[in-house]
Amino acid sequence: MTQTEILAKMQTVFDDVFLDDVKVTPDLSANDVEEWDSLLQISLVLGVEKAFGVRFRVGEVEATKNLGEFANLIQRRMAETVKA
Amino acid sequence: MTTDTQVAPSRHDVTVDRVRELLAAKDPAFWPALRCLTLRAEDFSTVLSLATMRKKAFRANVPGGTDKTIRLAMVGGSSLYPLHELVEQFVGAQAFKGWWQTELFKGDYDNYISEILDPTSDLYAFSPDVIILIPNSQRCVYQGSLTDSPNHQRAAAATAAEDILTLARAARDRSGAEIILANFLPAPDFDPGTFRVRSLGSDWSFRKLVNLELGLNAPSFVHILDAEFLAARRGTASAYDHRGWFETKQLYASDFAVDIAREVGSIVASLHKSSKKVLALDLDNTLWGGVIGDDGMTGIEIGGTHARGEAFRQFQLAISQLAKRGVVLAVCSKNDYKNAAEPFEKHPEMVLRLKDIASFQANWEPKSENLRRIAQELNLGLDSIVFVDDNPAEIEIVNQFVPEIETILLGPDPSTYASQLLNCRYFEPRSITADDLQRGEQYQAQAARTAAMSTSGTDMASYLTSLDMHSVISEFTSVDVPRISQLINKSNQFNVTTRRRTEAEVEALMIDPTHYAFSVRLADKFGDNGLISVVIVRIEGATAIVDTWLMSCRVLKRQMEEEVANEIGRLAILRGCTEVIGHYLPTEKNGMVRDLFPRMGYTLVEDTPERTTWRLETATFTPHSTHIQIDRRAYQSNDSN
Repeated sequence: MTQTEILAKMQTVFDDVFLDDVKVTPDLSANDVEEWDSLLQISLVLGVEKAFGVRFRVGEVEATKNLGEFANLIQRRMAETVKA
Repeated sequence: MTTDTQVAPSRHDVTVDRVRELLAAKDPAFWPALRCLTLRAEDFSTVLSLATMRKKAFRANVPGGTDKTIRLAMVGGSSLYPLHELVEQFVGAQAFKGWWQTELFKGDYDNYISEILDPTSDLYAFSPDVIILIPNSQRCVYQGSLTDSPNHQRAAAATAAEDILTLARAARDRSGAEIILANFLPAPDFDPGTFRVRSLGSDWSFRKLVNLELGLNAPSFVHILDAEFLAARRGTASAYDHRGWFETKQLYASDFAVDIAREVGSIVASLHKSSKKVLALDLDNTLWGGVIGDDGMTGIEIGGTHARGEAFRQFQLAISQLAKRGVVLAVCSKNDYKNAAEPFEKHPEMVLRLKDIASFQANWEPKSENLRRIAQELNLGLDSIVFVDDNPAEIEIVNQFVPEIETILLGPDPSTYASQLLNCRYFEPRSITADDLQRGEQYQAQAARTAAMSTSGTDMASYLTSLDMHSVISEFTSVDVPRISQLINKSNQFNVTTRRRTEAEVEALMIDPTHYAFSVRLADKFGDNGLISVVIVRIEGATAIVDTWLMSCRVLKRQMEEEVANEIGRLAILRGCTEVIGHYLPTEKNGMVRDLFPRMGYTLVEDTPERTTWRLETATFTPHSTHIQIDRRAYQSNDSN
């Protein structure tokens, strides 16, 4: 899956979690969206794990700066799942 | 436009996409569809996306939403987000129509002890109806060594449980709220091996012991949220998520949090709705394998040495287990009565016998009609019935024509029947009172009374005399509070004002000088009907106002209402009142008491669409004479006996 494909799939997770319409782009981060607080982040990460069938390690989602980096992390974890 | 109940027929095939369409169309059928999907949802993400849809629907003002609002406080030793999202979703989905909105108070992380102990905390300022208390499992650890004396370990467990119950009692005293208390998750790790069950000091044994102490010692206002059981049922290891704990202090793995939230929903529902009373059963391929009309007594499968027969027998055993606890059994079958009754009378392997069945409908009428007949014969509302059948078409008809009745569609494999019944959750007692245990017998006695009346051919007066009725009227007592609250919260038909009260509010009435309140028991030669009527009267100067007057419908037409009216009048005079005022607040269900006050000699004062108001001058009050012997009256000591 390319980063673009991953971001497109993330959009469906965002639609399930946010009340407002939030457009997923590589540069987007929590600071850009009022509704996106640390609590909503929990739901978002769980939704992404479910949608992509991956599991992140402790602390690593927190370390991503924007959705582009988050998508790259998803990509790495997906590659791992395929290998396993 | 679809209405709320019309969606019922299709409740087995609602989809997420359909719910999205209903939301976009602002169709009120959105709400029942959302309830249905929520109750069926199993995983975290699904529930969360349904919760998002719910919020969007409220924001878009989709009509038919709020049915009632519940003030819910959550406090605990872990993060309550996003658990609260799931809890709100499952509580809301318990509504019978629309949605139960929640006003939510979330305690700070691990701040529950001070929130509860400080009487000026925000928790109490919020004035919750329900407080959910989730203590931290990691605190429930035996501090000593595995090899300490078992007595010492046992005492430590008792203390740990008592500390938490003390908090629960304090929360109750200061808020009057119902308390939902989560118990502790079982320890998931293999360590310390076989020593796990050889010492009470292991996390595994110690937590089990603390949980037992909690359950056995919890007062009736504490409702145990049995996290231990739920985790065991799902698999203890998958109840935890260590990453979730380190990152955001999640106590429960996300999908397990759904189990927890669902359980909170069903506990909150049990505070507002009664459990079901009647199990109405199909016969062929439900109680036994095969068709009695075709296969005959020797052809049907029940008991014996065959696997299928054993499975049907196990199902009957499960049914009789419920019946022993007070669930009333009825038969609703398409059969000739003679064929249908024969196995109950003669088959040696049958567990259920004719005497166990309070209402037996075997004929060729539609089942929806027969279920109505069962309700009539037992004098119960349709919504107290659960209907069980193996035939999807019959279930569909019942869903469509009597949506008040809950249904269980048995799968194709009879080995699952017993567990389907024991997991249906319709018949769980909230607090088991001695009355509940006798209820099945009471309804069978009711059927015998109906029979006595229809066959005797004599007049009503001699029938009533022959019943040899005795009644005890008592001011509210603490031992009766659970049953009184049960009646206050579930009586719909014989109920002039339909005012609901929590157990705490009922208790408060016992010491309130501005009210008098009493309950009534009735026994007759067929058995004890238990506590069947509740009255609450407010005194304002020289006026007594009937706040609540309700009665169980199974003692209708027994002159009990006359005796209750007598007692209302007698106590009003004792309290120096010159008049009694009664209100009738009409609902969809309480038409039967529209004329109660005039029948009791009250005269009309005012008639508005919201209520009718009735008045009785105590000076002209003459007690009704009845065939009931009153053995004791309210606010009289027993010393004379």
